Amino acid sequence: MIADLIQNTLDGLGIGAAYALLALGFTLIFGVLRRANLSYGAAIMFGCYAATWAHVNFGAGLLLLALITVAGAVLAGAYVERLCFAPHRQGSAIAAMVASFAVWMQFEELATLVMPTHLYAFPALYEGAPLALGPYTLRIDALAMLGAAFAACVLLWWTLYRTRFGLAVRAVVEQPDAAALAGINVPWVFVRVFALASAIGGVAGYLVVASHGQITPMLGMWSTLKGLLAMMLGGLGSLPGAVVGGLALGLLEAHSQWFLGPQLRDLIAYLLLFVLLAARVPWMNTRSAS
Amino acid sequence: MSLLQIQDVVTAYGKIEALKGASLEVAQGSITCLLGPNGAGKTTLMMTVAGILKPRKGSILFAGEDIAGRAPHDIVTRGVALVPENRLVFPGMTVLENLQAGAYQRNDGKAVAGDLEKMFTRFPRLKERAAQQAGTLSGGEQQMLAVARALMSRPKLLLMDEPSLGLAPLVVEEIFRIIAELHKDGVSIFFVEQNAHMALKVAQHFYLIEQGRISFSGTPGALAEDEVIRRAYLGSAQQ
Repeated sequence: MIADLIQNTLDGLGIGAAYALLALGFTLIFGVLRRANLSYGAAIMFGCYAATWAHVNFGAGLLLLALITVAGAVLAGAYVERLCFAPHRQGSAIAAMVASFAVWMQFEELATLVMPTHLYAFPALYEGAPLALGPYTLRIDALAMLGAAFAACVLLWWTLYRTRFGLAVRAVVEQPDAAALAGINVPWVFVRVFALASAIGGVAGYLVVASHGQITPMLGMWSTLKGLLAMMLGGLGSLPGAVVGGLALGLLEAHSQWFLGPQLRDLIAYLLLFVLLAARVPWMNTRSAS
Repeated sequence: MSLLQIQDVVTAYGKIEALKGASLEVAQGSITCLLGPNGAGKTTLMMTVAGILKPRKGSILFAGEDIAGRAPHDIVTRGVALVPENRLVFPGMTVLENLQAGAYQRNDGKAVAGDLEKMFTRFPRLKERAAQQAGTLSGGEQQMLAVARALMSRPKLLLMDEPSLGLAPLVVEEIFRIIAELHKDGVSIFFVEQNAHMALKVAQHFYLIEQGRISFSGTPGALAEDEVIRRAYLGSAQQ
């Protein structure tokens, strides 16, 4: 029993790190624009499909695939910003959200048109034996996810608090009009935030796909749902919260899968979100965006 | 020579025109003020010049070039900086970071560092509080910070929207002292003010705006001053 708990925890932290990455990107966009980008996962899927395409046609290797995934996600993210969010800056949040939903469908259609088979193999990150920690095991790709999540946190903190771009982002978040009056090119900051968020998401997408060894068009919905869920569990709009939310979601899934079975696994996560929202726990910002 | 020339500018919120063809000029090296009752279009005019609002019609010439409808960051780069109404400092950022944000479009790092020192000399309170979050400053200190932030872009023309709003009389006096000092240093200043008495003491030229149009302009000290002050507070409609 204790042994199971420990092993589940190790597994949960691995996938939780991927969720944390997804939630970080999601939260970055939400925190800066106060808009939910439903195309977030679709942009990640686009990057992963671009890599798969390169692998199927040219046999591109692991590192190149990672680069293509991130570059594809960044391009797709910037495209979503220009198409869905830039025209609705002052306007309705719903309009931007619905537009991003439409673009999600666009990306899925494109993926199935260019790559008509439902499922493609994706080269595994690591095929050897998992790392043995006494009686327990830790998968190498889980370790990579944890490492990537940690690196992303450090890099993101450094970007936001130690660079000129970070200064601009924080200024735009605090007072968009004053930021523009200070000489900051606000629309360009938004594009770069989308690109950065999509890059983080792209890293997560790559690690997940490489860990599963396969890809389907469902990856877009999966990434959006997991990212959204982790972001909400951690309290909307908080970057540290996104990390905690992601790890918590991973742990919750690992344990509930073991004790209750895979059918109940997803249900439990949504149930928890529902309970937390209904109970209005203090760390979840139920106040409206200001 | 006029540094800023606004001609027949119309700015609207949806169907409601807040500026209905306003025209005025700010001379190079002058202190010009814009007076008017609430809702006359003073803030709309400032926001239109700064590029936050886009005019429907008309032209805004700055140093001979039309800047109407350009992006705010572009207008800042050309040398126009606005200290917005209610100051709008970045509350969660430190005083130093607020000032750095003001110099965002500049690439001359050394000169920026020099300007930072100048701001700290001119506003010693800001130096004391450089590492403090701007949101923890008093209203007067925030106003100083907003002015210093705008100056960090090295503007040729400084726009100020209600610099004395909500401040204690002593602080208001200090703000006006700073306006006079900046003017001495060669910055042209165009400001909006509710406090007509104070404004007419420092301004060399004034405009009165009523219901979206310039209704009067002149030089302080002229005969019509009492009438202007009365209309600045009350508006001519309420005679």
